[in-house]
Amino acid sequence: MTPTSVAHEDVMDLGTTDADLGWFVYAVVDADSRIPDDLTGLDDQPVQAVAYGRVAAVVSRFRLERPPGRSADLLAFHRVVDGLADALESVVPVSFGSVVLDQEGIRDELLAPNEGWFGELVDSVRGRVQLIVQANYDQDALLREVVAADPEIARLRELTRDLPEGAARAELVRLGELVGAAVEHRRGEDADALLEDILPLTVAHVLRPASGLERVLDVALLVDSAQRDELENRLEVLAEEVHDRVQLRLLGPTAPYDFAGEV
Amino acid sequence: MTVQSHRRGGGGYLDRPAPSGLADVIEIILDKGIVIDAYVRVSLVGIELLTIDARIVIASVDTYLRFAEATNRLDLMEQGGGKPLDEFIGNMQESGAGRKVKGAVSGAKKALSSSDDDDGESRPAKKSSSRRRSTA
Repeated sequence: MTPTSVAHEDVMDLGTTDADLGWFVYAVVDADSRIPDDLTGLDDQPVQAVAYGRVAAVVSRFRLERPPGRSADLLAFHRVVDGLADALESVVPVSFGSVVLDQEGIRDELLAPNEGWFGELVDSVRGRVQLIVQANYDQDALLREVVAADPEIARLRELTRDLPEGAARAELVRLGELVGAAVEHRRGEDADALLEDILPLTVAHVLRPASGLERVLDVALLVDSAQRDELENRLEVLAEEVHDRVQLRLLGPTAPYDFAGEV
Repeated sequence: MTVQSHRRGGGGYLDRPAPSGLADVIEIILDKGIVIDAYVRVSLVGIELLTIDARIVIASVDTYLRFAEATNRLDLMEQGGGKPLDEFIGNMQESGAGRKVKGAVSGAKKALSSSDDDDGESRPAKKSSSRRRSTA
């Protein structure tokens, strides 16, 4: 397919001159991708593809004087990239906030020097989607387990629970420390067990930093579309198995945001 | 946000929210994707740092005291019906989420105000970038 022509008339009413306009970059796709007509990006600008060789950058016009970063910008970016992911076989998201100054730059400086690398990235996610699995403890059930499993925790709890506020501070800190360590230990075991069940049905995974008392696992999965149903069924079964103490959440499918750096 | 109940009978234990809120979107997209050095002209760094800060678990004395308090409140539930602990946990989760969104939004605001214009020139993208996230 020939590169999409980018005419000056495409500029919607941004109230500014051409020199102040750049191009916001959303993603890299196959050169012959058909971009959905109704897709609009930041500032409601129409989204278009600029191709070079086998790859194309998906872009929209953007006012250079204002750095993107408003919440509406983030939502628009997400809408475009996931809209592309719904419509196309392969979409590689570009990091939010990437702007090229002029149209020539998209071809000559962004795409031409990186065609090979971008091509490999586009191939690596073809026919694949990203799912995010998050597992959270039921705090109530977790704390019961922890108290039942450790006599020292049970003892400190007995000692401190009916005391007035501010009393036995050292014992309270010790109790909290023990509870924190016990939770950490359980978290490791439970996360490993979940991953062991899930990972055989995935192509790749990226662990995201977990936080808080209740988070067991937060992992991005790259999954062949053909295996998605099987994985989701597996997750349903898992969710039922562990629901007394752990809740499983599934986000997605989304564009492969966490796998755009992997070749 | 559409949230399906995870307590429906006959399966349905898997919670499948549609990621549409700002907090979900920020969590999904920030600090992800191909990083093109020369073209990243937002102070994305500001947003990144704040996002990461929000995830850090601070193992401070205060944290331990909260754990202890949570553990001791367990007794209330054992003795009388469960309401107090549920409420307590609900409150904790609410305030936690609120902080996270606020942090990320102010990060975005910060990015907006601190427009660093030292990157006006356009240079070719580089394949190797220290900011590319390593994947497992």
